[in-house]
Amino acid sequence: MNLAFDLLLIAALLWSAGRALTTPDLFRAVVLFIVFGLLMALAWARLDAPDIALAEAAIGAGLTGALLLDALGHLRGPVRRKSGLIAPSTVMSSEGAGPPAFPTYFLNGLAIVLAVALGLALAGALLLLPEPAISLPREVAAAMDASGVAHPVTAVLLNFRGYDTLLEVAVLWLALLGVLAVAGGRAPGRAPVTPRSARASLKVPRLLARVLAPLALLVAGYLLWAGAHQPGGAFQAGAVLAAAAVLLNLAGLLPGGATPRWVLRAGLGFGLLVFLAVAAAVMGQGVLLQYPPAWAGALIMLIETGLTLSIGLTLAGLFLALSGASRQ
Amino acid sequence: MLDPLPWLILLPLFWATLAFVRGPGRGGRLAVAGLLLQLALAGGLARQVAGEGERVYAVGGWGAPLGIDLAVDGLSAVMLLLAQAVALPLAVYARAYYAAHEEGARYFWPLAGALLAAMNALFLAADVFNLYVTLELLGLAAVGLVAASGGAGPVTAALRYLMATLLGSGAYLLGVALLYGAYGSVSLSILAPLLGADAPLAVFLAAALMLLGLMLKTALFPFHFWLPPAHGGAPAPVSALLSALVVKASFYLILRLWLDLFAPLATVAAAQLLGLLGAAAILWGSLMALAQTRLKMLVAYSTVAQIGYLFLLFPLATDTGSVASASAIQGGVMQALSHGLAKAAMFAAAGTVILSLGRDDIARLGGVSSRLPLTLFTFALAGVTLMGLPPSGGFTAKWLLMSSAMHSGQWGWVVVMILGGLLAAAYVFKVLRQAFLPVEAGTQFKPVPRLLEWPAFLLALASLLLGLRAGEVLGLLGAG
Repeated sequence: MNLAFDLLLIAALLWSAGRALTTPDLFRAVVLFIVFGLLMALAWARLDAPDIALAEAAIGAGLTGALLLDALGHLRGPVRRKSGLIAPSTVMSSEGAGPPAFPTYFLNGLAIVLAVALGLALAGALLLLPEPAISLPREVAAAMDASGVAHPVTAVLLNFRGYDTLLEVAVLWLALLGVLAVAGGRAPGRAPVTPRSARASLKVPRLLARVLAPLALLVAGYLLWAGAHQPGGAFQAGAVLAAAAVLLNLAGLLPGGATPRWVLRAGLGFGLLVFLAVAAAVMGQGVLLQYPPAWAGALIMLIETGLTLSIGLTLAGLFLALSGASRQ
Repeated sequence: MLDPLPWLILLPLFWATLAFVRGPGRGGRLAVAGLLLQLALAGGLARQVAGEGERVYAVGGWGAPLGIDLAVDGLSAVMLLLAQAVALPLAVYARAYYAAHEEGARYFWPLAGALLAAMNALFLAADVFNLYVTLELLGLAAVGLVAASGGAGPVTAALRYLMATLLGSGAYLLGVALLYGAYGSVSLSILAPLLGADAPLAVFLAAALMLLGLMLKTALFPFHFWLPPAHGGAPAPVSALLSALVVKASFYLILRLWLDLFAPLATVAAAQLLGLLGAAAILWGSLMALAQTRLKMLVAYSTVAQIGYLFLLFPLATDTGSVASASAIQGGVMQALSHGLAKAAMFAAAGTVILSLGRDDIARLGGVSSRLPLTLFTFALAGVTLMGLPPSGGFTAKWLLMSSAMHSGQWGWVVVMILGGLLAAAYVFKVLRQAFLPVEAGTQFKPVPRLLEWPAFLLALASLLLGLRAGEVLGLLGAG
């Protein structure tokens, strides 16, 4: 039964990925990509990785899908690709949109050959993989008592490898900075895009948004709290917060904009600043990010709370920064 | 006393975040103060390494394999010094530049701070996954800086850069996953003794993927396609940071992996291939630089060429005996340092010319010699390093590489280096010749602030004097 389910899942994954790459209709490609993300979340769940499944569903399928659909809405002109796979210039740039030239077919062929060769080499390498000399899960289990939390994933993300997470939070913030830099730097007076509220396909009833947003806040709070002892945590909670903000924006209840005011900027930087402050403060009697054992749980919760707020704002900002332009 | 090691990472992150919170365009003074402190910290760390040798720092107190280790040795100390020494004058320059030219200034300081933090974290990392995170941080900061000036050209260049850098880090990450699958750890110090010539197929695949990804990020020929539009189209302070430092960071990682982790897998054939690509980069980049009509594109193609020299060290350092190999590594690192200083100076000088003249056609530079003498002198001094004339750092670098080539009997690389030097002279003099022509009728030179000219001059001077202090630099490199 399980084997049949897994085989079906694999087939569906391959099918949605293949169709997303080959369909000439960009809208359909985006929808297939979202389907692929949801199937991926299922696959992670089957692999006993519920944390990654949650993140994949919320960010990989949910938020990325919303961003792709939004980007599609900003594209004027034809949204069809000339052919599948490597799209010729119709979408990527405004330069001439003639029939696909010989190099396009050549490049497509080359890409397929290389991808297949890499895929086969990877499959071969994985089949020949030896038993690893070191078992990190065992190391993690042995150190759990000193970590300050009960959920191993949270212990790794915020304590054992908290330094990676610190830098990853900066990566997320940088992604938003890049978007703000481009969106805010645009020359004024560009032709406005159709206002979002006028687009029938994206109209979400305001009532629904008003009901769902507070619920999302509650869910985010729960996920944050749950992260200490079961799947959940700042990234997932932040993603739910961001979803609520996107929903409110789609319903016309929350304005977007590419130039955040200082309160918003402070909110965006808050998580990183809290994390940095804790990292630096504990150096008073140890090394970077070495929590005193008695304080570990509380400090991790403090960091995660700050991160939830900032991650939520950042993820929402990726969407809202560009939606201001469509409201001019 | 403040432990310099963690603060070299925390400090730039602090000033980057604070600059962001303070608002668009703000935070320049904070950045200069932060960089001053960072330079002092990097100096302190270099002294520690010179005195006590290599040092390992267990973040969180866990230690590998459970936690993340940072490590500093001679090579990382030298690179840290380079990064702070280039960034500080450039920060002073950038304040003056953006005061005169606001476009692209909005998020420069937060992005630059993140860039510095990423670079320092990369030079200190000793864990292949942590290295991946720093690469991602570095790549996104660099792309953001290129995109920040807005407009279709820079944004297109930034997107192309983004695709290249994401593909590069994606390949690297795939390699990390394979390494973890094979050995169950991502710590360099734990992986290194486990890796042997009898490693499973996955490890060979990992090595190939990681090196390819990093070559793409370093813009080694033929992966250089993204570099000229990105470096040539960005505002001058950004071009300088990217050309001087960012490509060196991924090169540093290639060098470290080649010498430490993948040393048992390294073959002479692979090393020769890297050398051939480097030689092709030198010739192709120099010829393309010669063919450019815009000043900044010329400087950008010169970066493509100068990156080539870095890769000559691989055929010279692989299976050639300890003398040739040591001299090749020293030469490669000296090249990274002197090119970093010289290219920062050259882009900064080009930016000053563009601010003053309002254009960057090489054919219409007449009068620069009389109106901007210090800036032209800066450009020429930086050119001396690129050509490899004594007493510059570039001369020391090429001399070390050449003596290694002669010692190991690989004369072909000597010919390539001499040709590269001649071509560099050709493209530098192409600019100088135009600059010495009389002022074109109707040309207005806007006066430029002194803070725009002097930092660039100091950088060029440093690249020249580096050759005279090479002994100390190489001593630090050899420590630990």
